[in-house]
Amino acid sequence: MVELANFAIHTLNGIQYGFILFLIASGLTIILGILDVLNLAHGELYAVGAYVAFSVFGYVSGAFANPEGFVGLATFLVLSLLAAVVAAAIMVPLGLLLEAVFLRPLYGRDEVYQLVLTFGLLLILKDMNKLIWGPLPVRAGDIYSGINRIPAAEFVGLTFPTFKLVIIAVGAVVVVGLFYFFNRTKLGRIIRATAIDREMATAIGVSTDRVFTLVFAMGAFFAGFAGAMALPQSNASLEMGANPLVLSFVIIVIGGLGSLRGAFVGAMIVGVLSRWAVWQYPPAEIAAPFAIMALILLVKPNGLFGTWGETA
Amino acid sequence: MSDDDHQSLKAWGRRSYVPATTTRDGDRYVRVSRGMVLSPRRIAGWLALLALFVAVPDIASLSSSIQQRVLHQGVLFGLAAVGLNVLLRHTKLVSFGHAAFFGTGAYTAAVLASQFDVTSMLLLLAAATLVGTLMAGVIGFLSLRHTGLYFSLLTLAFGQLLYAIAQGQSYLGGSDGLPVRPGEANRATLFGVELSADVYSVVVYYLTVLVVVLALFVMWRVVNSPFGNALDAIGQDRTRAQFVGIPVRRYVLAAFVISGIYGGVAGGMYGLVQQHVRPEATLYFLRSGEILFMAILGGFGTLVGPLVGGVVLVFLQDVGRDFTNYFDALTGIVLLLLVFGFPRGIVGSLQSGSRLRAAVSTFSDDPAIVGEWATEAWTSLWAAVGRARRNLRMLVLGVR
Amino acid sequence: MLGMVGGTAVAAALAGCSTLLGEDDQSSGGEADVPDEPIQAGLQTYTEGAASVLGLQAQYGAEIAIQRINDAGGIAGREMELDVAHEADAAVENYTQFVDEGKEVTFGPISSGGHAALAPEVESQGVVNVGTDGTVTTLYEDTVPDPTYSFRFQNYDVMEVVTAAREAVARIGADNIDSIAGINPNYAFGQDEWKFFKLAIQQLVGDVDVVYEGFPELLADDMSTHITEVNDNEPDVTFTSVWGGDVTTLMNQAAANDMFDNTQLVGSILYSAVDELDQDVVEQAQAFSGSRNWYWDFPNGSRWSPNADLFEQAQSEYDVVPTAHFMSGYGAVTAWATATAKTVDILGEWPSQEQIARSLEDHGFHTPAGYHVMGSDHQGKSNAYSGSLEWDDDLGRAVLEDVNVFTPQEVAPPIGTDAEEWINSW
Repeated sequence: MVELANFAIHTLNGIQYGFILFLIASGLTIILGILDVLNLAHGELYAVGAYVAFSVFGYVSGAFANPEGFVGLATFLVLSLLAAVVAAAIMVPLGLLLEAVFLRPLYGRDEVYQLVLTFGLLLILKDMNKLIWGPLPVRAGDIYSGINRIPAAEFVGLTFPTFKLVIIAVGAVVVVGLFYFFNRTKLGRIIRATAIDREMATAIGVSTDRVFTLVFAMGAFFAGFAGAMALPQSNASLEMGANPLVLSFVIIVIGGLGSLRGAFVGAMIVGVLSRWAVWQYPPAEIAAPFAIMALILLVKPNGLFGTWGETA
Repeated sequence: MSDDDHQSLKAWGRRSYVPATTTRDGDRYVRVSRGMVLSPRRIAGWLALLALFVAVPDIASLSSSIQQRVLHQGVLFGLAAVGLNVLLRHTKLVSFGHAAFFGTGAYTAAVLASQFDVTSMLLLLAAATLVGTLMAGVIGFLSLRHTGLYFSLLTLAFGQLLYAIAQGQSYLGGSDGLPVRPGEANRATLFGVELSADVYSVVVYYLTVLVVVLALFVMWRVVNSPFGNALDAIGQDRTRAQFVGIPVRRYVLAAFVISGIYGGVAGGMYGLVQQHVRPEATLYFLRSGEILFMAILGGFGTLVGPLVGGVVLVFLQDVGRDFTNYFDALTGIVLLLLVFGFPRGIVGSLQSGSRLRAAVSTFSDDPAIVGEWATEAWTSLWAAVGRARRNLRMLVLGVR
Repeated sequence: MLGMVGGTAVAAALAGCSTLLGEDDQSSGGEADVPDEPIQAGLQTYTEGAASVLGLQAQYGAEIAIQRINDAGGIAGREMELDVAHEADAAVENYTQFVDEGKEVTFGPISSGGHAALAPEVESQGVVNVGTDGTVTTLYEDTVPDPTYSFRFQNYDVMEVVTAAREAVARIGADNIDSIAGINPNYAFGQDEWKFFKLAIQQLVGDVDVVYEGFPELLADDMSTHITEVNDNEPDVTFTSVWGGDVTTLMNQAAANDMFDNTQLVGSILYSAVDELDQDVVEQAQAFSGSRNWYWDFPNGSRWSPNADLFEQAQSEYDVVPTAHFMSGYGAVTAWATATAKTVDILGEWPSQEQIARSLEDHGFHTPAGYHVMGSDHQGKSNAYSGSLEWDDDLGRAVLEDVNVFTPQEVAPPIGTDAEEWINSW
């Protein structure tokens, strides 16, 4: 029985990690699928989100020093989540600006220039974080310990931080919301139509211009949201963008370039399997995601779900 | 000069090895070797570049902010970028994992030097090149099943896999890396001769000069051969190339392996120069990105561009650190300028017909044009910001 | 002005007890033939990024030491000027640039890998480098077995690990340690520390079960896999050598997973994260932490004013609680400055690099941390400190209580003996 509980906790750790990865990779893959741009600065958007969240969380933990009782804890949780959304929303204008000023002139040009440009933006955003928040890492430990005071997993007899459960729950809501958006809403279908055939979409009166902007802003929002959700249990540092970027690449290659469903499955595979790998064979921690990717590509050269558009 | 003239010049260039001159349209051309016909101006340019290259140790001694070691590193990363350029320029494949070959070369030298005590500089270099080439064969075979972004991401992933291995294996020194200091003297030897520290750095530098000149010449031959033309055809249209009978996969793999050779030899030289190899400095994916950006910065439409780009980028990062805390942003701004101001790169922009050249000549005709440019840039920036604002409103209020 | 002030004033100022000196009765030395211009020194350290938690402390320490030297009139009348470079992963380039710029001495680096790359280059360039950190055990065992110009001030890995092992045994008792686990950073430093901890604890308590060994990446944002395994195996002692931001990540997540109910955490350098640790976590953890060769409050400032003064200065000028890394920078500068001042006194002229290097060997000197010896093996050795990590309401920070002090003889191999051989010989 102990073994099963242990296995469950490792798996839950992996699922939680998978959701954070999905939040990052989803933006990257949508942008790739529709704008045909591989955004190397995406990891930095995640980092900026974490830094912004640090500032926004400061108000929450400033107003609520030591949340107690059911009402206090519930309010604290809601306020914290709201703060994360606010931080992510602040990323939207930044995303719009980046798209309108820098990326737009590049559509239709050789794809290497997009790589150079987004890499340049990566470097500039990184130094922007340094300028605003300083060279030292920052953290929001109050949010983490505050939310963890809510006894959740203990109901089923597991030792598992509530904050992780919150990430899983919020991540699940985002996944459902995203699939609903792309499958059931008009705007979502318009975006998918643009992904499938840009010219045809224009012909039936879709403003691809606006779709591009919207999609990039969405990517920035979710990357920022991922940063905000990841911040409390660790910290925000200048280097934090690099790893998630590379892992997101792995995920979208596994899932199929531009496929949202692929990104979800890929994120869960990488999240859970890499946590299992750390558990069973610790030295494999860094290599695990790449080994998984190589394996999957040997079996399915185009990734698990191919390209996006036809199905969400 | 018409195309016909050019063709006949080329043919003339191929006829024999004897240097000779000829005159077309009043311009004189010199045949340097078989197939290599250059105008005197270009020859002068090449010689000036070579002289500059040879004089680096003297230039570096002039100012303490210019370091021979740094310029040397730039040359070596640039050499790897020259290799990468075979793929980028001709087959239109964007490799994002060239640090793999650079790092393989560097680590081969390091492992042989520190675990097997191989002291011969040339042996270390040869082994580095060989293993780098083999690695390129393996990675090329696995990743060339794809093109476009998939290819880029696959090369990146293989590069990171090697990085993870180097980082995780204590045999390879983990993140501390391995020294390249074999033998009693703690330095590799040349033809069995032990060198003092000062002599060593100069000898290694001129060895690099030799390797680079040779490598550029070979690259010139490769891209101007029928094989190079076939690669161009593949880059333009794979399917058409297949139909005209070019064995696309074999040729692309060959190009990939050639580019890997350059990475391997550059990495091996890097090991000899730095005398210590670490995963972060040689295998990390950001190094791969830098090698790619070096090629573009220097001008990927040209032969020496990537080399120039390598020196400039490495130099910029090093000097940037001396005078600002925000050296990353400095590099970032240079990359933005590259994309929007001189997309053909440094060397490409110096060639005739580039936008930069046109701009310079307009400027010398009428310096007041600067004001116009500034207004233009300002207007387009404002237009973009305005668009972002409108789009934000649209996002908040919905599409109407 | 030629050097009127002898070595003693500098040494006293750096020991933190210049006030004990009379006006100028202690300044020995007379007219020494020294150059007029200030001494140019270079320090490379992490000024940004995660490792700057350590790097900036080293920089602050070095700056204060230099300030004190200059306030005391400089070394033989020569003031010192410090140029700080960001270490990045360019330890060798930074050093050679310092040399090109005509620096007379260099300090740093922080990174173990950087130090391993740098030390041989120091030997061939011949400008003295006093390492602040970069404490990998093999540096003077394998990398540069016979150094001339390369020195290291801070206690090295094997010392802090043996300290941690002895600390664990002292606090918990050899009989109560049957199983251990390790969570160490996944790079050479962490592997080095874990290897020596296993060796040392097995020598001290006999057979122990190693129930888990985890190696989280540097800057990992999630250590819960390792924490879960520790929870599952419930080892008597969990050893960790994580530092800086990783300490906070590990301890916060361990607290959230109730790991401290299941094991006793012993860290070699947990205290390096002092400015980031939260009260509830510290109180829950009841961990033991080493603090290398200095803990700012031992002996307590009321009994040992040099500690009080240095702490005061670190707080007022940099708003930090100074850690062992602060002393890394302070002591490296002190080692060089006192040795150089001493040599000027003896020679009556400004010494060459080789002369300074020679006088640094077996050189003893004081800092507020006490007495240090730069061994003939070029490895500095100092007392090692360790204590139990507790929360202090007045300070609003974590402190070490109940501090244990281990002499170098207890935690370091004798000169000429390999660390591994030494531990195996216990």
